[in-house]
Amino acid sequence: GSSSVGRYLLCEINVSDKSQLLLLDDRAVATAVKAAVARTHGDYGLALCTIRFSVKYLNTHTGIVLLRFPKRCYKLLWSALPFITSITTRGHNIPCFLNCLHVGGTIRTCQKFLIRYNTQQLHRMLPKCKNEEEKQQIREAILDCSLEDGTKEAFEEESESEEDEEE
Amino acid sequence: MKPVDQKEESVYQRVVLKNASPYHYLKVHLVLENETTRLTAVELKQFIITGLKTLHGEVGAALNVDVLKYDDDSLTALLRVSSRGLVKLWSSLTLLGSYQNQACAFRVLQVSRPTLFFNGPVQYSQNYHWGVTEVHPEQETNTCLP
Repeated sequence: GSSSVGRYLLCEINVSDKSQLLLLDDRAVATAVKAAVARTHGDYGLALCTIRFSVKYLNTHTGIVLLRFPKRCYKLLWSALPFITSITTRGHNIPCFLNCLHVGGTIRTCQKFLIRYNTQQLHRMLPKCKNEEEKQQIREAILDCSLEDGTKEAFEEESESEEDEEE
Repeated sequence: MKPVDQKEESVYQRVVLKNASPYHYLKVHLVLENETTRLTAVELKQFIITGLKTLHGEVGAALNVDVLKYDDDSLTALLRVSSRGLVKLWSSLTLLGSYQNQACAFRVLQVSRPTLFFNGPVQYSQNYHWGVTEVHPEQETNTCLP
């Protein structure tokens, strides 16, 4: 039904020390989002977040996270994301900010965007390479970027639920 | 429906209120469990803002709510809020259930926004649609500000 339609926000968690990303898990990110929504939009916002909000994907190496919001209120919840200043996990308080890269109607559109985005990032890394070996590694990684490969695994278990998410 | 002839003189005045006023006015009465309790205007405003903050967060608390008139004996106030904030304010008042550990309730007695009435009959135009108020031309016209 139309009430179950969602919006997927592809975000990047920016930290000053990249190793801290490895401490994150999806529950910690979800808690941080809900806390920011509660502060910014009160009980009303928090109630919107309780229904069908979830962290669909988190990559602790790149800091990429995919958030799912219900379609009718995703802008309100999106507006609370800039107010996230830190994420608390396993006793650590990690200062960070969220950068929204893409908004999509399905997981697949965000997946396609992420492939293109990662490819661009790899291209940007090429001139910074210190030697031919590094360059070769990056060229291979770029060629590997496609929906048929590595990144698909992370999304596979979610693709079944896509049918009811499409508009 | 027969199309209106521009040359026809209308019986009623029709005034468009499309985005005419950025404010809404609420007349409210605070009912407290202990009927002898009194609040100052400042305490009342503070109380309203905490209600906005609870239900609508920082964004709600940032809403400009003005207490234009206040009768501290009957605990009746005239509030002004931007029209976009009316729903946030009214819902916050509805859910404000306790003041300093005693039960309370805000009774919203009246909600209105200012309207302008023009003197004399005007032509009916098909461009007028929402926010329309009708005034019979024989009525005493006045610029109404609650």
